[in-house]
This record gives sequence, structure tokens and C-alpha cells, in this order.
Amino acid sequence: MSLFSQDQWPTRIPPDTGLRGIENASQLRDGTSRRGFLKASLAGTAFAASMHQLDILQSPALASELKRQQKHVILIWLAGGASQLETWDPKPGRATGGPFAAIQTNVAGVSISELLPKMSQRMHHSAIIRSLNTKNADHGGAAKIMETGRAVDQGIPCPDLGAMIAHELGRADSQVPDYVSMYSSTEGRRQGGSGFLGGRYAPMFLTEQMIPENTSRLESLSELDHSARSDLRSFLANRFREGRPDLSVDSHNSAYQRVRGIMSSANLFNIELEPMDVRARYGPTQFGEQCLIARRLVEAGVPFVKVARAWWDSHGQNFETHLELVSELDHVLATLIDDLEERGLLEHTLIATFGEFGRTPQINSSLGRDHFASAWSASLHGTGIRGGSVYGKTDADGLKVIDGEVNAADLFATIFQAIGIDYRKEYHVGARPVPITDFGGKPIRDILL
Amino acid sequence: MGRITQLKPLSEISTPEINLAITRSTVSIADDQRIIVVGNSAGQLVEFDFSSKNSTSEKAKSEKPTSRPFESGHSSYVTGVAWTKGGIVSVGYDRKMIWWDPLERTVLREIVAHEKWIRRIAVSPDGTTIATVADDMHCKLWNAITGELMFVQDDHQPVTPHHYPSMLYAVAFSASGEQLATGDKVGHIAIWETQTGRKLGELESPGMYTWDPKARRHSIGGIRSLAFSRSGSLLAVGGIGAIGNVDHLDGPARVEIFDWQQSKSLVQLSDTAMKGLVEQLHFSSDDSQLITAGGDNNGFITVYDLATNKVDVQVKAHQHLHGMIVDEASQRLYAAHHGKVSMWELQDQPVA
Repeated sequence: MSLFSQDQWPTRIPPDTGLRGIENASQLRDGTSRRGFLKASLAGTAFAASMHQLDILQSPALASELKRQQKHVILIWLAGGASQLETWDPKPGRATGGPFAAIQTNVAGVSISELLPKMSQRMHHSAIIRSLNTKNADHGGAAKIMETGRAVDQGIPCPDLGAMIAHELGRADSQVPDYVSMYSSTEGRRQGGSGFLGGRYAPMFLTEQMIPENTSRLESLSELDHSARSDLRSFLANRFREGRPDLSVDSHNSAYQRVRGIMSSANLFNIELEPMDVRARYGPTQFGEQCLIARRLVEAGVPFVKVARAWWDSHGQNFETHLELVSELDHVLATLIDDLEERGLLEHTLIATFGEFGRTPQINSSLGRDHFASAWSASLHGTGIRGGSVYGKTDADGLKVIDGEVNAADLFATIFQAIGIDYRKEYHVGARPVPITDFGGKPIRDILL
Repeated sequence: MGRITQLKPLSEISTPEINLAITRSTVSIADDQRIIVVGNSAGQLVEFDFSSKNSTSEKAKSEKPTSRPFESGHSSYVTGVAWTKGGIVSVGYDRKMIWWDPLERTVLREIVAHEKWIRRIAVSPDGTTIATVADDMHCKLWNAITGELMFVQDDHQPVTPHHYPSMLYAVAFSASGEQLATGDKVGHIAIWETQTGRKLGELESPGMYTWDPKARRHSIGGIRSLAFSRSGSLLAVGGIGAIGNVDHLDGPARVEIFDWQQSKSLVQLSDTAMKGLVEQLHFSSDDSQLITAGGDNNGFITVYDLATNKVDVQVKAHQHLHGMIVDEASQRLYAAHHGKVSMWELQDQPVA
């Protein structure tokens, strides 16, 4: 898919989506809650207002605050399923605990795996959730749940976390992408998607290389010619628009402007523009370099960046796998937190780490751990998070949750709440309300500020 | 003994732990008893007495091997255990090295020997010198009786070419005790002179490094075992070959044999019938056969004919096999598995 088509808003739902009765993208984009609709009606403006205006009327102070604070999210997706026992919920001394010790963090009473020594000194920025029970331990189905925050079969294509945050925090006048997703390994590669929110919020998906393709001006075309062509296109488009109050034409023009913006922001992906000492801090691994790009994107105003690190599916040699991968995670995550903090960005940025599930407490005969969704962990760092907090508890062997069980919807509600998005918000797909957080999902207030 | 023609399971005992390391006990020399000591995932050493299996009594044969734990000592997996002149010595992921009284099964001496996980221990044939290797990438030589540190040998890089922590898995003495070999995750091997600590040479076996740059950006291979031939001229290196799917141990059991003095690779043995890591290696007394053991989720014991480089004998063992000792005098092989300890008879035919 080209950048151009990603940028277009769908003005009609394609016939194969099964979505009927949706006439334009604004209904999808600006769906509002019944409560908000009622408030607007009472204000006497509802039926005359566009859906976008309704959204602002619903909470103008919040919208203004969001724009001022410019919240961002970096999701570090641990593709394949990292072990909670070798990261955030160690069980040293138990048969299920594996060989790694637990270490005390800089928060009294909180211990994590010895594989995370740098993160152990940054717990004051962090919250650990140790009680996820997401029930599905199949890679594909579980990934879908953890991407969208809800069960797979909703009857409609649901947007993933990045698309929802891009929708909520993206700015109409932004010259940078709203949602960037980096995934280089082929195993478990998943593009994600914007579902009913439409192509406008689909990720800029980077796979084989970290600098977006097709963002360079053709060498045969001078910058002057390029600008002249753009001006001519705008002139003709504006002439065409006269007398045609059609949102699709506006969208078309907006898409062109965004493409030019993205072309000019291609340098954000070029870490060679970073000082050597900054690059050295993140290290030479691809994951480190991608997290440095994530920081550059956030600094430039991108609301949501996903960095997928594969492949944690350690059915064999789980401990060797985690010694290799958690060591890298520890270094890169700690560096990212430090870098964001030093730049004053951490108070506006939330970093989340999770994948599709965790790994079995039982150690199999290849010294591996298998798929496990019944009692696993995620971590949150940065804005909106009560530093040093731990939520939920598993039993002594890590076999089940014994306190504070939460699901994907609760995790998503927590993320939304941390960055100031109303987790109770609803989109409307035709007449059907679709909550931004799946039914019943509630934020984990114990780990939120 | 003569040429090994068959492996016959004699006895086994299931355990709840993962058994990682195995050695004979001191008492088995004097008393000709079949007593072995196993190190496991619970941080324990356990003594197993297979002596009843020597008896001709049917009643004794039906009895399970008895087991007795040592007193507690390690706080993580015990990854190496060896008989020495100074007692039983064990090492583990807790970085500790512990000397034990084999009769009382109590701790004699305990030290923190390395900064990171200790992977393996080897003892010189005369039982007086200990070598340990760890993920701090040091090989350390110790006086087995006094516990004195003799040499620290460094030739292994701490990070892999792809910038991840490397691991130093394997160490072995030559039959004469004069040389020592160490092997790491990326397939680098160093040969050392035991008496002086001087490096004698190095070899490369890059096929043991399983880095996958495309699908998973991850590796799980490495040199997991080393053995010198009895003549001292050959060095066998064990690990795993090119892996299709590093989620599992889905790669051929791989052995490469070097003429280490000539720095020459002689042969690469690759078995796809029974896959996984080659965790253990043992040359037969006349160097005509090489016994290998390891596995993926299943275990295997494979005996190669070194004249033809073909499999002579192969058996499927219970689950992944981590440790092995061969007692050719009594024609017994003892193995430490994931959840089991076993004894096998090495059946032979006289060498013509």
C-alpha cells in the first residue's frame, strides 16, 4: 500500500467489509457517546453541528489539554510472548521459577528478574501488572486480542491500539505520521490495522528497512518543479472543490498535504543524524536503533509508535533465549526512559511492554516454556503512571492469578486513562456504538496517578 | 572393553527435578559400588545407588535405585559436578563452587567462583586440577585439593558478532591432563596448556553458531561439549547445526572433529534422525568410536564409528539428556535427563 492510499480517508466503506449504513468517514472518526450527544443536544447545537464539533463540545477542556500536552505512546511489542517469570514476575526457588534469581529494585518490596538490572533502578518510573489473564494462548488469536483490546469476533473490523490513539491524539494539521509501526523480523510479523476507523489511521508499517520507502523526491524532479506541481494540483483541486462541499474532496487534498509532510519528515527515521554518543547509548542492535527512531518520532509529535521485537517464542532453551533477549530489552528500555526523561518527554510519553501472552510456568523437556495466557505480566512506564507500583499477584508457582485479575480491555483502559483519553468513549459504526475500551474494561486505578 | 555394538537400558529412576550434571562418587572406586551423584534444577546434589543392579538376585534387580540428597548448598541450577581428589565439587548458575564430603554429603568449602553463570566443570584425569567456565567468559583453573585459583584464561569475546551476550559453555581436559579446551557460543575454541595456563592454539567451528538474522533475530546454539581423543590428537566439538526454527531445537545434532595441532577440521557429523544439542562427548578407549548424547525434547545416545563416520549404534533416551558418564571397565553408561536418571549397559564384541 502506498503512502498516498494510507493517507486517504475512506469515504465509503468497501463492500466486502460488511459495514452497512455508513455514509461518510466523519461518522466513523467522530463517533461520540450517547451522553456527549445528549449534552450537545441540550446546548441546542447538536443537529446543526458536525460530528467533529460534537466531539469538541463534549469535552473542550480535555481536547485543549490533550493538544497542549501532546501525549505519546511507545509500545514495545514482545512478539512471540516473553516470559513473565524471566522479566516482571520472578519465582526464584520454585520448580517453575527457572534458574534466574530475583533482584531488589529501587522501590522497597518490589523485585524483578536479575536479567533486568538497569530497569531495577528505574522502577520509580514504572508500573508492573502481574495478573493478566487473557485466556487465548494461540499466537494469532492472542495477538489480535492484545492488539485491539477485545475478543476477536466483534462482527466488525476493530482498530488496534495504535490506530485508536492516533485517532484520539493525532492532529489534523500534523505533518508527521500519526502511527508508525516497526517490525523487521519475519516471524510473527503483523501489520495491525485501523479497522472501522479507516485508512487515515492505519500504521506506516516499516519492515525491511527503517527509513520509509518512496518518501524521496525523484532525482529527475527538482524541488522547484515538485513545488510547482503541488501548487498546480492545489489550484486545480480548489477549483474543482468550488460548489462541491464533499468531504471526500477535502480528504483528497489533505492526503496530498500529509504526503508532502511525511516526505519532509523522512529524516526522522535517519538515526545517522543523531550524535554518535546518543546512538552509542542505545547500542548497535536493530531493536536499539528502532527505539531511538521511536524517540525521534515522539519528539517530532508522532502520537503512537510501535516497535516490535521478535522472537520470544522459546519452546526450547527458554533461559538462553531470555538471557539474550531480556538483556537487550533491559538496556534499550532503560536507555529510552533516560533519554525521554532528559528531554522532558517522559512526562508526556507512556511506554508499554507486552506481547500476545506470557509463557508457561512448567519447564518442558527442551528447557523451554510454552504459550501461556492465564497469568502473565505487562509493564507501563512514564506519563500517568504511579511509579513503583505493582498490581495483581500470581500464586507461588505462577500458575494462576490469585489477586487482581485483569484482561486486555482493562490494560487498554489503563493506557487510555494514563494519557488522558476517556476510556468510556464510544465510536459509532452506523447505528452501532463501539466502545473504545471493550465492554466491562476498567482502568487499573492503583497504578495510575 | 571391545567395540560397542548395543546400548541396553538397565535401570532408571524418575525425579521431579531436571537433572543437569552427573559424576561417579568417590566411594564407588573402593567398593566397586555403582554410586553416582547428580546435580539438579532444585540446586541439589543427590546420590543414587545403582549397586543392586549388579546383583544376580532377582529381588535386588527389581528394587529401585536408592537416592540420598546432599545437604543444601546451591541456590540455583547445579550445572556441573565432578569427582576430584579434594572431594565432590559442584558448580551452578548461582556462581558458586562447592566442595563436598562424598561420604557425609556435607559442604567442605564454598566460594563464589565466577561473576556470571557457571556452565561446566571439568577435572583432570588425576583428579587434582579443576577447570570451570562461565558466562563471564573466563576459564579458571583451580587446585582441586586446596581450592587455590591457579590461572584465569581469557580468549572468548563477551559479546557475539551481533552484539548480544556470549556464553562459554564447554570445557574438557585431554586424557593426559596436559591440555585443556574451551568452547563458546559463537563457535570459537581455545586450547590451553594446563601446567602453564598458556594458550596453545585456537579453532573455529562457526556452524555451531545459530544466529538467525531474518525470521527471529536470535540464536540458541553454541558449542555445548568438547572431548579430546585418548591419543590426544583429536578434539571433538558438539552442538547443533543450522536450525530451521529456533523456537524449538529443530536442528541436526552436530559434531565437528579437529586435528587441533594442525588446526584442521577433519569431519562434520550431522544427524537429522535424532535432532538437538550434543551435550556430551566421549571417545572410546581405542578412539575407534565416539559416544554422543543430548537431544531436543527427546534424548538420544549415538555412537559413531570414527573409521567410517557413520552411526554405529543409536538409541532414543528418555527426554533431553544433559549429563553422561561412561565407565568402560564395568561397561556402564549413566545419564542425567530431564526428570530421570538412568543406567545403561554397553554391550560389546571383542576387537578382532
